[in-house]
Amino acid sequence: MNLPNYFLADLPVEASLTPTLITDACRQIRRNRQQYLLPRSTSSIIQILDSLGREWLQVDSPFRVHALEQGPGKTGFTERTLAHGLDSFFTQLTAENLEALVVQELGNVNRLDGFYEGAFARGPQLLLQIGAGSIPNPVLLDMALGLLTKSAQFIKCASGQSFIPRLFAHSIYEADSKLGACIEIAEWKGGTDILDSAAFAEADCVSATGSDETLAAIRNKLPLKTRFLGYGTRVSFGYITREALARDTKGLAKLAAQDVAAWDQQGCLSPHVIYVEAGGKATPDLFAQRLSEELDALEEHQPRAQLTTAEAAAISTRRSFYEVRAAHSPDTQMWASSGSTAWTVIFEGEPQFQMSCLNRFVYVKPVADLTQTLQAAEMVRDKVSSVGLAATAAQTSDLAAQLAHWGITRICPLGEMQRPPLKWRHDGRSPLADLITWTTLESQP
Amino acid sequence: MKQFHSYRDFASQLLAFIASGKNDPDTFNELALGLYHLHVEHVPAYRKVCERVLRGSVPEHWSAIPSVPTTAFKDFELTSLAPQERTRVFHSSGTTEQRPSRHFHSPESLQIYEASLMRWFTGKFVEQGQAMSFISLTPPPSAAPNSSLVHMFGTIGKTHEMVFAGTIAGDRSWLVDAEMTFALVAMHYERSEPVAIVGTAFGFVHLLDAMAERNVRFNLPPGSRVMETGGYKGRSRVVPKTDLHAMIADRFGMSASQIISEYGMSELSSQAYDNSDRVFHFPPWARAQIISPETGREVADGETGLVRIFDLANVYSVLAIQTEDLAIRRDDGFELLGRASEAETRGCSLMATETALR
Repeated sequence: MNLPNYFLADLPVEASLTPTLITDACRQIRRNRQQYLLPRSTSSIIQILDSLGREWLQVDSPFRVHALEQGPGKTGFTERTLAHGLDSFFTQLTAENLEALVVQELGNVNRLDGFYEGAFARGPQLLLQIGAGSIPNPVLLDMALGLLTKSAQFIKCASGQSFIPRLFAHSIYEADSKLGACIEIAEWKGGTDILDSAAFAEADCVSATGSDETLAAIRNKLPLKTRFLGYGTRVSFGYITREALARDTKGLAKLAAQDVAAWDQQGCLSPHVIYVEAGGKATPDLFAQRLSEELDALEEHQPRAQLTTAEAAAISTRRSFYEVRAAHSPDTQMWASSGSTAWTVIFEGEPQFQMSCLNRFVYVKPVADLTQTLQAAEMVRDKVSSVGLAATAAQTSDLAAQLAHWGITRICPLGEMQRPPLKWRHDGRSPLADLITWTTLESQP
Repeated sequence: MKQFHSYRDFASQLLAFIASGKNDPDTFNELALGLYHLHVEHVPAYRKVCERVLRGSVPEHWSAIPSVPTTAFKDFELTSLAPQERTRVFHSSGTTEQRPSRHFHSPESLQIYEASLMRWFTGKFVEQGQAMSFISLTPPPSAAPNSSLVHMFGTIGKTHEMVFAGTIAGDRSWLVDAEMTFALVAMHYERSEPVAIVGTAFGFVHLLDAMAERNVRFNLPPGSRVMETGGYKGRSRVVPKTDLHAMIADRFGMSASQIISEYGMSELSSQAYDNSDRVFHFPPWARAQIISPETGREVADGETGLVRIFDLANVYSVLAIQTEDLAIRRDDGFELLGRASEAETRGCSLMATETALR
């Protein structure tokens, strides 16, 4: 597939970005927005996105084929990992889900087109979206949100991370060149002041994902009038009740394995630890063993990425550490792929939350109950995004309430951790509504 | 296979091997396997690791001897010395809230440590029979009894003149004194005597910064040397090794070949040194393997992996140590890249106001 040189990210690597190029691009897409995007109805935009969702799920879609062929080289993820990840986003991208999203966030699907019951939802003129991680899905979702709000959008990807977002942008352009003309996409190394400043000066809304330091640095550089939406780095964990475990240990292990394997555990929604209630018919260490079997099976048809030496060293170093512990006490057990670092399960009696070194390295920890779990996770309290929960129907509402009071913003079934719905309230916020500026029209009393 | 009936029996043969300085692979293998069996018998924490890792098999070559990670020295007592025999312990450096590694020593084990050190140091850094004057940027052992690096320099100070260029406070904290260093260097310069300056990388950075600030430059007499060791651990800005050496060469009027790096750690009893080619070599009684973290097997020449060391001088602890250092294999030596671990970082270049040094 030969992609036209349409976006800044299409420029050959030797062509260097300049502030002028960025400024010009921002102004161009803002003009295009005025001309092409503002007059469009929300329903027509939804129809385009819906058709793109279906297109990307077709096995012979040229964009999908290109993404899966070139993706492993460009992103590091294996073809199967990419395919699973892309499917989880594009199956969500339907007219029904998009309408439901707009209704959830804005009360009515027509409010982006004009006044409805006295309220008109207007998106930013120029939305700058700064993506951080190596997972493309959050950027793809942000692009869909940007279109829905009828904003010109400048997508700034981290170095080497623009491949999939760029393909998505091309697919938008091919589906509707006028919509595509309202998007710019570029990549440069974060913190490159001269380029950042050019983009910051043009945007009236900036949405960014990254570490606390990155977000603070961006916020400090933005003019006061610019709206800033920062999404910090998060961690996630799983929780399994003894009743749920007894019912289907193998099934839960399979779901947990999918959560660990999705995007090779690189995302904020990937579990670092699976907490398992002890004292039931099935034991937490049995679950850990089952999980290792499922990860081993997954490696067959959804192999993990090849790692850099440093990433592999992080895993092998941790394995050596736990190997010695496991030799001394049944409180620590380790299951690990042999001859590779493909997957690792550490069972540890100590419930303290542990950050994984990722790339399919997961902890299983036995706990008495959710109260003990939340105490053990206190150190990451304001950093937890999702809890993948496996509980009986009768248990769920109490556990969910306890998790909510503690500060968790997303509770989902185990197995769905890396598949947030389109309506997901990212970090407990309203991703679409946060972009909106309302104009209200009050009628005569 | 050769059996050793006691540590004493082993130690006498090892000391003979060290004294010979011969690079004899068969003797190394024989000694390594013999020591391994002593360790399995006398170091319970190591025996458990071997039982788990080997599942009943017995190593037939030194490279099959199970290694322990350096972090295991924090968790477990990897020693055959009974508590009452432990007259000295070397700690890894680290910030105060981290648990340090503990490598226990006795007079017997220190005797081997010192024999290993001096046999390889002599010839690598000073000529046999040469009396060199040393300026040390780390304090004498009395100020840092748990530092293997300080013990190393202290041992060298038994046969060579060694002056600490700094001050020690009542609480044993210490500081390098730039002015004092300049005065000592100037004295050697006036006498046209070669001098060796030894210290941690961060110690040198502080010294070089002070020299730059005062616009001080020396032209050290011919035959002078510098030895730097260890990392930074947040004690100063981090300077890449090639830059550090270039700065040292510039400020002290030396060539790169006069500057040598040392690689060692509290968990070992032998050290590696590099040359101007920046490739480290251990002595014939210690061997490094560069292990692929992905496969666990030794990498091919030119490839990168984790450094694993088999040190026969670790007589009373454990001989096979898995480090967290990444290096490129260069034949039977290695080019150091740095620490791999993202978690509990450790290193030896930390002490100026901390109590622990490797």
